[in-house]
Amino acid sequence: MSWHFERVAGPHDGHTGGVVWDGGAVIYSAVLEAKLYRYDPANGVTRPIRAFTNRVNGLGLSAEGTLYGSQEGSRRIIEMMPDGSAIPLEPWLGGARINYPCDLTVDSHGRIWFADPYNPLPSHGPQVFPDLPHASVLRLEHHPTSHAWRIKRMTLDTKVPRCVALSPDERTLYVGEGDLASEGARELRAYPINAEGMLEAPRLLHSFARDQRGSQRGAEGIAIDAEGNLVVCAGSDDKGPGALIYVFSSTGRVIESHPFPGGAPMRCAFGGADRNDLYVTSATGGLWRAARTGRTGYVRPFVRH
Amino acid sequence: MGMYVEVLDPGMHEVADPEPPLVEIVRGLMFGEGPVWDQRNKWLYYVDIIGDKVMKWVPGVGSQPVLVPSGHLNGMTLDNENRLIIAGWSSRNIWRLELDGSLVSLASHFEGKKLSTPNDICIKSDGSIYWTEMQNGLLIPGMEGHDVQRYLDWQGVIRLGTDGSMKALAKDFAGSNGLCFSPDEKRMYVNDTPRAHIRVFDVLPDGTFGEGRIFYTLIGHETGHADGMKVDVKGNVYCTGPAGIHVIAPDGTLLGRLHIPGTGTGCTNMAWGDDDWRTLYVTTRNSVFRTRLKIPGIPVGPAAQGAAR
Repeated sequence: MSWHFERVAGPHDGHTGGVVWDGGAVIYSAVLEAKLYRYDPANGVTRPIRAFTNRVNGLGLSAEGTLYGSQEGSRRIIEMMPDGSAIPLEPWLGGARINYPCDLTVDSHGRIWFADPYNPLPSHGPQVFPDLPHASVLRLEHHPTSHAWRIKRMTLDTKVPRCVALSPDERTLYVGEGDLASEGARELRAYPINAEGMLEAPRLLHSFARDQRGSQRGAEGIAIDAEGNLVVCAGSDDKGPGALIYVFSSTGRVIESHPFPGGAPMRCAFGGADRNDLYVTSATGGLWRAARTGRTGYVRPFVRH
Repeated sequence: MGMYVEVLDPGMHEVADPEPPLVEIVRGLMFGEGPVWDQRNKWLYYVDIIGDKVMKWVPGVGSQPVLVPSGHLNGMTLDNENRLIIAGWSSRNIWRLELDGSLVSLASHFEGKKLSTPNDICIKSDGSIYWTEMQNGLLIPGMEGHDVQRYLDWQGVIRLGTDGSMKALAKDFAGSNGLCFSPDEKRMYVNDTPRAHIRVFDVLPDGTFGEGRIFYTLIGHETGHADGMKVDVKGNVYCTGPAGIHVIAPDGTLLGRLHIPGTGTGCTNMAWGDDDWRTLYVTTRNSVFRTRLKIPGIPVGPAAQGAAR
């Protein structure tokens, strides 16, 4: 079935980024405005809910409802508390500063998997800490005895990780690798997660192409539907097949593709009472919705550990 | 090796000899700041913001810890009872370090909202405290406090009166940073880091600000920006900036620049010190230097009473 996209909020100054459904409304990030907004589909009202975010991009909710943000401008993940405060999580990997986290997802153990690429726009203020010698998918998790956050490096083969998502059974990590600036691979990869929680060699689900106009833009955001398919934001108006929302099977077959009218799509999340509307952020700075997609978003069940 | 003194106006010859001594007394810091000379004990306090400590450098002895970890404190001065008064930066308080070692909060909220990151601080002779409200400690990697959310939607200057009252004196800064009084305390200089200039405000009898205007705009393409700022007894203003420290006459004329070598990361702040207040201690990102100049600076602490003012 074809999807009809409408812009329901924005535009904003600069691109929009992270987007999550909080159970009743959509929370999304206007990255360069340094604000989070909440769009309530019940009344169509959009209001700012947090300011001074210093380039928070990708957002993620834990199964318990804790909201995390990838704060590119400060090179860390923050936990955004209901009282309005923001707690910085561990930003050091082996004593070195992590790069510029841009996207994250939280598993049922409360571990935060995040993409940690480089960023051409430096962090705020003086540049004290160099970038890591690698740009990887990293994972924040609690130390088993002290409970303090610590970071583990998960991928060894990424150069430009841009987005992450977990399969419903949490046995696969999907990673969008590559951007247009890097001239490298732009791939959608599936990394098996082994019994120790570490990643095995990835399966290549899809490789984004080149054409007479150059390399096509790869995956920037992934949502998972209830059947375990991947809904992926990729492409741009000026190259190849255009700005698209793809639906890939877990083996990489393209099941559907939907032209996206809002310029290069950034990140997406299912929402609505039945979780069958898709919300998409974009390079042109709005929040877009395709209502009644015929697909239902996967909801991670809450498990108390 | 002496310090290179760049002379841009003949008045600079009264400020510094051609090659005054420049000695690196501390090195290995991650972000040096907050220097203040304790004349009673004859040592220099300073901080390492990212290294998360308050230290003291004792001549002939070296550096010793004062407060570790510190909560990423920043600018410091001394009150007339010789207690450190501290701009708490990432710890989002104005602190007083009591002589028994306990830390007392003098301010944590303004009109019900948590302070951003108090940057630098000074005390008027009547005991009122002035500091710059700035956001940067919430944003810069390595300076994380417990809460990195900003609540106040402006940056500027706050005055805390001796009666405990607080008032915002300026709210229109892009990044308020260094601040200091003129010797007669009738004017206050406040610099704005992103705008690379110093503003000067008339100080009214009640301690609030009157008219303000741009006093000086930083020049130079070298490393460095407007950060710490101090005044000598003749009213010359010393401000960190490209190449090191800019020395500006009270009429706004740039007299010259003190070139602080080494790290390529710029100066962060300075403090007058030693018995004659003619030593200038300079913090950079990684080090603390000391040099000798010709005009005494404004004393701080108990020595401030009965001094030039």
